[in-house]
Amino acid sequence: MVVDDDESVRESLPDLLREFGFTVLAFSSANEFLASDSVDRTTCLVLDVVMPGMNGLDLQMELKNRGHKIPIIFITGQKDESVRRRVLDQGAVDILLKPFSDTALREALSKALGGI
Amino acid sequence: MPVEPESPAEEIRHLRRCISDLVSVLALPATWAGGGPSQIVGNSLDALVSMLSLDFIYARLRESTGTAFTEMARVTPDWESKPRPEEIGEKLQPWLKNDPQKLPAVVRNLFGKPSITLVPLQLGLHAEIGVIVAGSQRADFPQQTEGLVLNIAANQAAIGLQESSLLSAQRRVARELDQRVAQRTAELAASNEELRKEIAERKSLEERLRQEETELKRSDAYKAAILDSSLDCIVAVDHEGCITEFNPAAERTLGYDREDVVGKHMADVIIPPSLREKHRAGFARHLATGESRVLGQRVEMTALCADGREIPVEIAITRILHDGPPSFTGYLRDITQRKRNEEALLETHAKLARSEERWRSVFENSAIGVALTELNGRFIAANPVFQKMLGYTEEELGQLSFMDITVEEDRNLNRMLVNELLEGKRRQFQIEKQYRRKNGNTVWARNSVSVVPGTERSPGFLMALSEDVTERRLAEEALNETRSELADMARLTTLSTLTASIAHEVNQPLSGIVTNASTCLRMLDANPPNLEGARETARRTIRDGNRASEVIARLRALFGKKNAPFEMFDLNEAVQEVVALSISELQRNRAVLRSDLAVDLPAVLGDRIQIQQVILNLLRNGYDAMNMVDDRPGELLIKTECDEKGGVRLSVKDSGVGIDSEIEKKLFEAFHTTKSDGMGIGLSVSRSIIESHQGRLWAIRNEGAGATFLFSIPCSTNT
Repeated sequence: MVVDDDESVRESLPDLLREFGFTVLAFSSANEFLASDSVDRTTCLVLDVVMPGMNGLDLQMELKNRGHKIPIIFITGQKDESVRRRVLDQGAVDILLKPFSDTALREALSKALGGI
Repeated sequence: MPVEPESPAEEIRHLRRCISDLVSVLALPATWAGGGPSQIVGNSLDALVSMLSLDFIYARLRESTGTAFTEMARVTPDWESKPRPEEIGEKLQPWLKNDPQKLPAVVRNLFGKPSITLVPLQLGLHAEIGVIVAGSQRADFPQQTEGLVLNIAANQAAIGLQESSLLSAQRRVARELDQRVAQRTAELAASNEELRKEIAERKSLEERLRQEETELKRSDAYKAAILDSSLDCIVAVDHEGCITEFNPAAERTLGYDREDVVGKHMADVIIPPSLREKHRAGFARHLATGESRVLGQRVEMTALCADGREIPVEIAITRILHDGPPSFTGYLRDITQRKRNEEALLETHAKLARSEERWRSVFENSAIGVALTELNGRFIAANPVFQKMLGYTEEELGQLSFMDITVEEDRNLNRMLVNELLEGKRRQFQIEKQYRRKNGNTVWARNSVSVVPGTERSPGFLMALSEDVTERRLAEEALNETRSELADMARLTTLSTLTASIAHEVNQPLSGIVTNASTCLRMLDANPPNLEGARETARRTIRDGNRASEVIARLRALFGKKNAPFEMFDLNEAVQEVVALSISELQRNRAVLRSDLAVDLPAVLGDRIQIQQVILNLLRNGYDAMNMVDDRPGELLIKTECDEKGGVRLSVKDSGVGIDSEIEKKLFEAFHTTKSDGMGIGLSVSRSIIESHQGRLWAIRNEGAGATFLFSIPCSTNT
């Protein structure tokens, strides 16, 4: 699953993930994702940190609280060490700084899915 | 009132009393012998009032001259009140002013008495001397005998008064005669005295004339005149040194009497004891050899006065040429005053010198530099502080003009100010300028320069009070640097607060580019290649690339240039660029931005980039304010329009938290912020930018939620 408020990410990233062979759905906000029936079917979540409304960190906490253990790969446009430490402490697989390479994404994905 | 018939015994007693009264009255003149009218009348009244038991008796006597009269009265002791003669006269006036003979016999209510009978008596045949009025309460008044007594008494008094009057007239005449005789005698005596004086004067005149004649004969008139009238002292001596002449001026000046000194040795008189030996020797030498140190010259010497004072004199001695032994005339002049003047002059000079010394000392020890230059700028003098400040000695400065040591940049202003000073346009001026020291360094000086006008004896000059303000200037420069650093910091802060969103702005398309390019490659590498997908992802890559380069170009424009010159630009265009830059951030903040841009907006003149920074700042403020509100969708309205003053106004209206009045005051202060992550520089910097465009930046509270920030700047045609 991809959750990002930026449209260009929502249109480009799913295509790449599909090229990797995954089935991908994209949501523009955390609430949209939580409201969908996809939460239970999600094997991995690619999540933007900064989003209007509920941000990536909030969603991570929310999922944790609901008992979901979906591996999360954060993506962010801002390099911020404190945010990085926080998401990793909260159990994120990795945090990728935009723009990231397809290799970096692949490595993160295999780490996430290999952990299942 | 009926008269009771008297018994014979009583009548006899009555008559006897009458005769006794008459005898008394006839004896009255003896009591006033030689007395005046008041004594005559007074005695008569006293006698009558007691003899006849009257209540009162009043007399009025005419004065010998005019209409004035003298009043007298006697009142019985039985009356409690004693009216004065004038009061009685006044009461009786209504009857007295007419014919006294017509007086009514009985008058009611007089002096508080129910009834008084008045009897008038004339003094003189026609009352020319006066009148007497007798009054009694008795009903039988006046009895026949009483009337007789009264008449006789009046006659006696009248005769007495006439005699008295005659006597006084005789006395007066006698007195006048005496006076006249005495006067005439005095006159005669005076004229005698005058005659005597005249004779004496004539005699003394003749005597004086005779004396003068003899004196004139005895003395040479010419010489005497000179001697007498000369202002100089003239002392003549014979060959032995004895004084032969001593004129009035000499008497006055030296205090000796001519008689006392003529014939005495001059050395014993006017030469001070300490000089006498020398004088004698010189005199003797001259007589022996004919040589002299004093003859024919003006010499200053000391003379001894009669009172022992020694005074400075100027003396010229001439030898009189005639046959026989030589004689000498000395002309002396008291030069005490001249000496005194000389001393005063010396004292003045000394004072002047002291004053000069004092000023010199002020000059030398002044804590600030003092330099004097000629009007052309060449140094005349410079005090130690000034010398030290410039590193030149006073001598070296003497070869220089102040222009020579003023740094190039300051010369024109300095020259202009000095010219204005010389033209009289200003009395003084202040200038802060840099001097070039001898060692090549510069020093900042604050100078107060004034022109000291010339006098007939000395040309004018310029005076500069010069204070070394280098340290202050350095401090100011440091302060300015700090200020500009602060401005830079504000700029950087704006930059860094923007960096976050800007990084997002740039990274978002970059991320798209990388992802799309990777996808594209994978699609091409697939077997069979997904050409359709590759084309789509390549198209997206190019689109995102353009988007990224646009963002970068704008950022470069926004922060790359420093101090761009003012230019004409379209505010709407500038707004659209800023909006395009912030659109994604706005979207991310789920804020709706609406634009309402006036179509016919005139071009504005200014720094486009700075104005865009302000707009960006206002937009950021707007959505920051709305981020603090969760319960409603944020809405921003950016609007441009022409304002009432012919300028252009831009407003950013938000639906955020608004401004409370406490904050309103501090809104534009640097470092004031309500945001936990803000530096609070944005608005204050924005305001200073707008003000540098002759514009105004302010904020108002909205009718509904939120606030509106506005600025207006003049449009280019107005400036």
